[in-house]
Amino acid sequence: MALKELSSLEKFLGLKKHNKYSTQGDNKVPVLQSNNGPMVGLLTVCSHLVNEAKRPELLGTSTEHRAMVHQWLEYRVTKVDGCTREEAKTVLKDLNLYLQDKVYLAGNCFTLADALMYYGLHPLVVDLAVHEKEHYVNVTRWFDHLQHYPRLRHHLCPVVVLRNRVYIGGHH
Amino acid sequence: MTKEDAQGSTAEETQSKKGLKKQQKEAEKAAKKAEKQAKLAADQQGTEEDDFAKDQYGIAAMVQSQQKLDRELVRVQDLTPEMADKVIWLRARVHTSRAKGKQCFLVLRQQQFNVQALVAVGDRASKQMVKFAANINKESIVDVEATLRKVEQKIESCTQQEVELHVEKIFVISQAEARLPLQLEDASRPEGEGDEDGRATVNQDTRLDNRVIDLRTTTSQAIFRLQAGVCMLFRETLTKKDFVEIQTPKIISAASEGGANVFTVSYFKTSAYLAQSPQLYKQMCICADFDKVFCVGPVFRAEDSNTHRHLTEFVGLDIEMAFNYHYHEVIDSITDTMVQIFKGLRDRFQTEIQTVGKQYPSEPFKFLEPTLRLEYTEGVAMLRQAGVEMGDEDDLSTPNEKLLGRLVKEKYDTDFYVLDKYPLSVRPFYTMPDPSNPKYSNSYDMFMRGEEILSGAQRVHDPQLLTERAIHHEIDLEKIKAYIDSFRYGAPPHGGGGIGLERVCMLYLGLHNIRQTSMFPRDPKRLTP
Repeated sequence: MALKELSSLEKFLGLKKHNKYSTQGDNKVPVLQSNNGPMVGLLTVCSHLVNEAKRPELLGTSTEHRAMVHQWLEYRVTKVDGCTREEAKTVLKDLNLYLQDKVYLAGNCFTLADALMYYGLHPLVVDLAVHEKEHYVNVTRWFDHLQHYPRLRHHLCPVVVLRNRVYIGGHH
Repeated sequence: MTKEDAQGSTAEETQSKKGLKKQQKEAEKAAKKAEKQAKLAADQQGTEEDDFAKDQYGIAAMVQSQQKLDRELVRVQDLTPEMADKVIWLRARVHTSRAKGKQCFLVLRQQQFNVQALVAVGDRASKQMVKFAANINKESIVDVEATLRKVEQKIESCTQQEVELHVEKIFVISQAEARLPLQLEDASRPEGEGDEDGRATVNQDTRLDNRVIDLRTTTSQAIFRLQAGVCMLFRETLTKKDFVEIQTPKIISAASEGGANVFTVSYFKTSAYLAQSPQLYKQMCICADFDKVFCVGPVFRAEDSNTHRHLTEFVGLDIEMAFNYHYHEVIDSITDTMVQIFKGLRDRFQTEIQTVGKQYPSEPFKFLEPTLRLEYTEGVAMLRQAGVEMGDEDDLSTPNEKLLGRLVKEKYDTDFYVLDKYPLSVRPFYTMPDPSNPKYSNSYDMFMRGEEILSGAQRVHDPQLLTERAIHHEIDLEKIKAYIDSFRYGAPPHGGGGIGLERVCMLYLGLHNIRQTSMFPRDPKRLTP
């Protein structure tokens, strides 16, 4: 899964050279061999790719911005990956509250945080029923925005998001 | 004195001091008791002495039809300001009674109507009478003679707001036990309110165990009057369309819908089944030239489902009719009947709908004229557009049915619609296949608020095709020989469908459990009351 992500990220960044990745350990942590030794971990590899593509703004423009982006990347790897159904509910609830008044996760522009959170949340969102997608309305809005972001989606299937509210009131 | 002695003597002293104190206390107690007894005796004497109104109240002898009283009992709903200053008799239940010094306020209730009544110490009523009135158990039935008076300030808590009764005589005709298994106020409270204020609501099992009391709430009265209305409108509409009401047997020799969900009864030396639907007999009546028939009767399904919408016994409203050339004639007739029922409820039972809405608020029921009819393939397409994955010939699961209901409501703004041309593979063996596409059939389902209320179809009226379909479904031909035989002597093309009375009421009112619209529901866990 992580390898597909990295391949999509390469395509998004417009990198001509496609790296060969290997995995390590039970959690299939991606590893990239380089001249300076092996790079282990999804975040490490992604940051490296961003720098290679000369798109450092995707990691944040100011110190605070970079910190925010990094915080979301951490969130992805620690809270989202491998979470149970119960944990997923908490993640979606928190995210829904956070995204109430924001278009992107960090700052006012697209960053690597959005890309990796989109990849990471896809397996959660794809299984949501229509009424759940309506319940987490801000997550759904952000998700729909991201999955239409040019050249980002690649290996993931599009999730259907209805334009109009179908469930009025609580009962479904 | 030695220390011991000293201690001893002080011990003795304290002993005697203690003893004295004890004696004193006992003496006080005895004195108090004597006082109390004397007071009680005085009171009793007092009550006996001063009760000039002895004959104006009390517990009446059990009504064993001892006498024919030519007395008119006025209905609570008729108590209006126009009747002010009249002396009237009425019989009602004591809803509440509250004493306040020399007065007692009663609320007397009759079905959905209630009125305030006042028993006050004066030249008509004695202190003892007021006390008696205040102590009448709730729900007791009383006969009251009173003067009707207008009030200056509206009594908001009663249905009769502009009048009150000044009681002159009050007799208990039937006394209720002091402890009620549930309080009517709690049973009438909306769910949300109960949680907020910390006041009780009554859960469903308690209600059903004590149905006689639960049915007295204004909401229950309204629900079942509306249900009676559905039955009445069903009969009225179909009779106007020249349908004939028939009665079909419920003890039958072969399971009509398949052997799985049928109740077996012992029948003398053999066994028989309780009818799962009047299907076979409706069709036989068509073959017997009754042309258009309907029947209202119990349906028994031994389905071990404990859901919000399944009962083991419910009332089926069934329709069957011969048609000329196309089964859509049948669909049009059924949908028109349903629309007439909805209109009739909306126009003639608005009070009941509002009453139910106070405890169970919901959106009013919406429908289109002519009724919306979608093809099954369209429904599947709408679901796929919303992200649901399903095959062309798959049956609709309950969640998908509900989602489709929502999508249809959003797109067409209707709570009632027909889904036509179901896949043949998911329908019973007697369903007529589609002439142009063997994968589909001339069958349809109707939905209210996204839940299925009717399943119907054009029936196979040709004995040869019927036999083929039965073989295809691996049904034992011996068991349905009589059924197939009924089509061998000329049978018109026909179709029909059946609806569940309880489900229609539940969905029309926007309620969420079918036990609310069944007076004495039957499910796998409940056989009484």
